[in-house]
Amino acid sequence: MENDQLIAIEVFCTNYDVEYAFVESLQEHDLIETVIVGEARFLQVPQLNRIERIIRLHRELDINLEGIEAIQGLLGRIEQLDREIASLRNRLRFYEPGL
Amino acid sequence: MAFVDYYQILGLDKNADDKAIKNAYRKLARKYHPDLNPNDKEAQKKFQELNEANEVLSDPEKRKKYDKYGKDWQHSAEFEQARQARSQAGGQEGQWYGGSNEGFSDFFESMFGSGFGGGRQARFRGQDYQAEIHLGLRDAYETHKQTLTVNGKNIRITVPAGVENGQTIKIAGHGGPGSNGGPNGDLYITFSVGVDEKFRRSGNDLHVKAELDLYTAVLGGELVVETLSGKVKLPVKPETQNGSVVRLKGKGFPVYKQEGQFGDLYVTFDVKIPTNLTDRQKELFTELSKS
Repeated sequence: MENDQLIAIEVFCTNYDVEYAFVESLQEHDLIETVIVGEARFLQVPQLNRIERIIRLHRELDINLEGIEAIQGLLGRIEQLDREIASLRNRLRFYEPGL
Repeated sequence: MAFVDYYQILGLDKNADDKAIKNAYRKLARKYHPDLNPNDKEAQKKFQELNEANEVLSDPEKRKKYDKYGKDWQHSAEFEQARQARSQAGGQEGQWYGGSNEGFSDFFESMFGSGFGGGRQARFRGQDYQAEIHLGLRDAYETHKQTLTVNGKNIRITVPAGVENGQTIKIAGHGGPGSNGGPNGDLYITFSVGVDEKFRRSGNDLHVKAELDLYTAVLGGELVVETLSGKVKLPVKPETQNGSVVRLKGKGFPVYKQEGQFGDLYVTFDVKIPTNLTDRQKELFTELSKS
């Protein structure tokens, strides 16, 4: 079964050239979530960006899953801080239009 | 086209062995990898340089060619002929690290060409692209279409009213092409909304200064005020003080993706004292001051 929002893990593994066990280990580390429909296990398509980033970090930089877990947490914080900075800049611009 | 010193990029000397090259690349790649430096164009550029240096120096044949002809790359054709002869005799092309040659320098393309073989067969999404659109405050007031050119392709997008300065939207599938049949990447557009001479924005609210003559401020009356949706008549109470503020509900900035909803417009009165008074007017003011 495959639809716009779900992709079977087997299909994902074939397309991305990764082992099923690798996807399982990602789930064990709470790096991704999987969905069970019937007897099959699926990934949610909106997670693909995140999973691809994990694969790249693992393959290209030899970072283990514990390291990736830490990186994901820090990137999340950076995103949050970036949003906060943008919002504060816009407020500051009200008083100092030259910014 | 400038010569690119791959050894310098990786911080190595020319005698570096394979292990040193691999270690230097890994160390620097961890520092500049785009996934670890989101929205950092300098880091992305640096990472592309590292990849290019690694592509060449980690491949014995390309390294040999680079070492021999690097600074003299225009004369590398004879090497190429020799290489082709070896290849026809059974020689093998090296495997490229990574899957994409996107972003390599002209120097690289000139020396090694742009056709790559080998690499992993995994399907990967294409690269995400970043673009920036500059808008005036008044442009951001109304939903409108805009065409932008990304990597030679024209893309027509709808800019929704109420976009914030620094806000980023994603246009799915308009990034780089995927590898081995993978889906395209996405296009991320960041809006840079300029400052207006007259109106200042604070979230969905707008602020404007309105000049008010002394007589209307004292006696009351009406004032025509400009808003972004046209002019409105504003009643002015008698004895209005300089710097006092009135709120015009719903005359501010449109709320992003909330059709029909607007912030408020705050009008600050700037009372102007009359100048070039006639003698008669001075007399009257003097009389007034004694009353």
